[in-house]
Amino acid sequence: MWKFIVRRLMIALPQIALLSLIVFIIALMMPGDALTGLVDPTLDPAAIAAQRERLGLNNPWYVQYGDWISGVIRGDLGQSFRYKMDVTELIGSRLVNTFWLSLLTTVITYLIALPLGIISGRYHDSLRDQVITGYTYFGFATPLFIFALVMLWIFGFNTGWFPTGGSVAPGLTPGTWAYVLSKIHHLLLPALSMALITTVSTVQYLRSEIIDTKQKDFIITARSKGASESRVYNYHIFRNSLLPISALFGSDIAKLISGTIFVESIYSYPGMGQLFVESILQRDSSVAIALVLLFGIANILGTLISDVILSLVDPRIRIK
Amino acid sequence: MKKFSLTKLLLAMMFIFLFVLGGCGGNDAEETQGEEDPQVEDSEGKVDEEVDDDGIYSIDDFDPIASNQGEIIDGGTITFGLVLDTAFEGALNYNFYTGNPDVQVIRWFNEPMLSIDEDFNYTQDGAATFEVDEEEGSITFTIRDNVNWHDGEPVTAEDWAYAYEVVGHPDYDGTRYSQQLSSVEGMPAYKAGETDTITGIEIIDEKTIKLTYEQFTPSLLSSGVWAYPLPKHIFEDIPIEDMPASDAVRVNPIGYGPFKVESIVPGESVTFVKNEDYWRGEPNLDGVTLRVINPTVVAQALQSGEVDIVSSFPADQYPDHADMSNVEFLGAIDNAYTYIGFKFGKWDADAGEVAPDPDAKMADVNLRRAMWYAVDNNAIGERFYNGLRWNATTLIPPSHKNYHDDSIEAPTYDPAEAERILDEAGYIDVNGDGYREDPDGNELVINFASMSGGDIAEPLANYYIQSWDQVGLKVELVDGRLVEFNTFYDRIENDDPDIDIYQGAWGVGSDVDPSGLYGRNAVFNYTRFASEENDKLIADGLSKEAFDVSYRQEVYKEWQELMVEQIPVFPTLYRAILVPVNNRVVNYAIPEVPGIDIHRHELGVTQEEPFVAGE
Repeated sequence: MWKFIVRRLMIALPQIALLSLIVFIIALMMPGDALTGLVDPTLDPAAIAAQRERLGLNNPWYVQYGDWISGVIRGDLGQSFRYKMDVTELIGSRLVNTFWLSLLTTVITYLIALPLGIISGRYHDSLRDQVITGYTYFGFATPLFIFALVMLWIFGFNTGWFPTGGSVAPGLTPGTWAYVLSKIHHLLLPALSMALITTVSTVQYLRSEIIDTKQKDFIITARSKGASESRVYNYHIFRNSLLPISALFGSDIAKLISGTIFVESIYSYPGMGQLFVESILQRDSSVAIALVLLFGIANILGTLISDVILSLVDPRIRIK
Repeated sequence: MKKFSLTKLLLAMMFIFLFVLGGCGGNDAEETQGEEDPQVEDSEGKVDEEVDDDGIYSIDDFDPIASNQGEIIDGGTITFGLVLDTAFEGALNYNFYTGNPDVQVIRWFNEPMLSIDEDFNYTQDGAATFEVDEEEGSITFTIRDNVNWHDGEPVTAEDWAYAYEVVGHPDYDGTRYSQQLSSVEGMPAYKAGETDTITGIEIIDEKTIKLTYEQFTPSLLSSGVWAYPLPKHIFEDIPIEDMPASDAVRVNPIGYGPFKVESIVPGESVTFVKNEDYWRGEPNLDGVTLRVINPTVVAQALQSGEVDIVSSFPADQYPDHADMSNVEFLGAIDNAYTYIGFKFGKWDADAGEVAPDPDAKMADVNLRRAMWYAVDNNAIGERFYNGLRWNATTLIPPSHKNYHDDSIEAPTYDPAEAERILDEAGYIDVNGDGYREDPDGNELVINFASMSGGDIAEPLANYYIQSWDQVGLKVELVDGRLVEFNTFYDRIENDDPDIDIYQGAWGVGSDVDPSGLYGRNAVFNYTRFASEENDKLIADGLSKEAFDVSYRQEVYKEWQELMVEQIPVFPTLYRAILVPVNNRVVNYAIPEVPGIDIHRHELGVTQEEPFVAGE
């Protein structure tokens, strides 16, 4: 087992190194830089030119890459030009927001997906199944940004049950109970909007897995041995149907930090998705590069975790 | 059988959705109708912004000041919505910010030392007064005695000088080192790190500072002074390169404005409480909450009273919400214009000036004038912007009331005139392909660069191309598509030879002096146009005689006329800013409009709770 993980890690390291190089070169190839957008005639053009020189934007790419990668190894991702603060600090503050939002979304997603998937699969082609399948089609067909807006309109503005933007009510002191409650209150609606849409694929997966598994020979064997219906479903079928879902779980972990631009914008929730898009549009390349690298690493690790989980639940996959 | 019922169910659900959606539409229509009546009822003291039935609005029907004259209650708090689809950056100091959203935050707790009149000229009503010595080329500023930082320390001349020392320092890595600073004597040497002192700054006593200028021009007195002191007692222990990231800028910034920062949630909200010690007097309100609000939900947030005032209202949503019953829409002419620019040549970096090429494709003024006659900007304003943008005539927009000359007759839509000009100038279709060739008989294809962004960008660019097509000019989009913002300016700045004309926009800035945009030595003169008459008028506007305001106005009127004759660019549209304000708010004026004698400490409300739409 450990051998397997170490071997996977050994492959992951050069992957990450290559990723960093590609990301860096692509970022430099984008036309314009952080100073291009400053079309302001009151600014002294000489000062702008001096800034470019200062920031090393005139150096050839390999010099810039060398400067940057040696910083990265020391844990210094550079400075954000737009935000005028350390990239690590900036990403850190957004990461916390995105992490909690994604975590809650993931929890709700599975809270919805597991029962619905099981019911739908167990009683397939019954009325219950048809209602659930209908819901999944609705989910597949609805774009997230429309759904999030409708949810906000109904539950935020019309009923007033949820706050309509931000990650916390203004003016509260961090660390107090009211602060934590306010955070959770602000999280619920965006997390729910996202979970209700993203859960449908998991429901469908689970449903088809269960329908598939319940016709397998070993289930017939279990039944003929006199196992009760609930034992057949909860133990034999459910466990086996979870296999493909657990494979997806790894990528869910990667999603925990990447955030979603739509939901974050609509709910004015400062998270990673917003930061990423913004940094690209404004050519804040130190931030953009750091984020792509981070997302890349998360994906590589997520796949690794998926493999580990799979090998834990399915002995056939384990590599000797 | 089972399969069949599934399909039936799906069909049934589709019908249900159809009804739900249909129902939504119906409700909306009813709501708007229902709202019209109460609007008439409470229209006392409310500007009637209802215009013709065709949904075309006019800026003349808007006022930049809230008309509410109700009685102000003691205290109360309001919510200010900063309309933005991202987070604000949070560099909350005039000396360090980069983007405009941060300024919207700063304005609540800080202000410049000097106030301005409606032409952006300094007045003696601000936190500091001044005396000009034209002979010596210096200005002496005296800070009022009762101007104190939020922590109780007085704002001193030393603080003011300190701002110059920090922003002008070689280690400073922000973007605020502008001509406002570099025009002070000795500033360039200090910036280059050659000296430790700035010769042009003299601290006379605790509250008095004298700034001497390299070149003393009228521009200095029209918002040309860097008037943003930096509290030295707070910043002096922080290394300059760490200042923008420090807590003194991001977590507990201070100023001397009407409100104090109480707490900040980075990127999304700020709470302010009143500054009882504010030099103009104690504010009416107890506090202000500022929060970021996404443009897609701004109308809902206004209707429900969640925000009282917003920084700006998306003009394209205005027709749907013009009759919102609980808010008043304030409006003003924005200090900006959209234009079509013609490329004349290249930037000569060694000489530091533009190098127009007399053989450039667009060098013939008749061609440019015909292109101006060929487009109907009023139709664009009405069709695309519901009248909230309208035909522009000169390069100084009417936001500069006393400088804009509306008597100048600029070309307006007249395709027959365009064709006549082209025929006379020799642009004739010789090979029968339906397009005109240039006077030498060569095929003429004009490459047009236009920026992407927003729903209107593409149809607008196509409209222009079709208009020119109709007078026989072949205009094509560069690369066949719209260009993304950064790429656009990158290519324009570097004089990409593939671009002949482009559509851009300029904010005019507070001083009317156009040398930064159209001067021979201006990098931002993207058309690379230059002419001797232009040089002369620009120089006249900055001459000693121009300290006489009426002379200066005369010069800039001549300049506007010259630009209509020589057409290095032609302005297409002026635009409106719209700011909705809840009906309970008293004494609010659009902050972008200069010279309105209403200040934020006077802001008040007539009731504790905001009005909600439909009540």
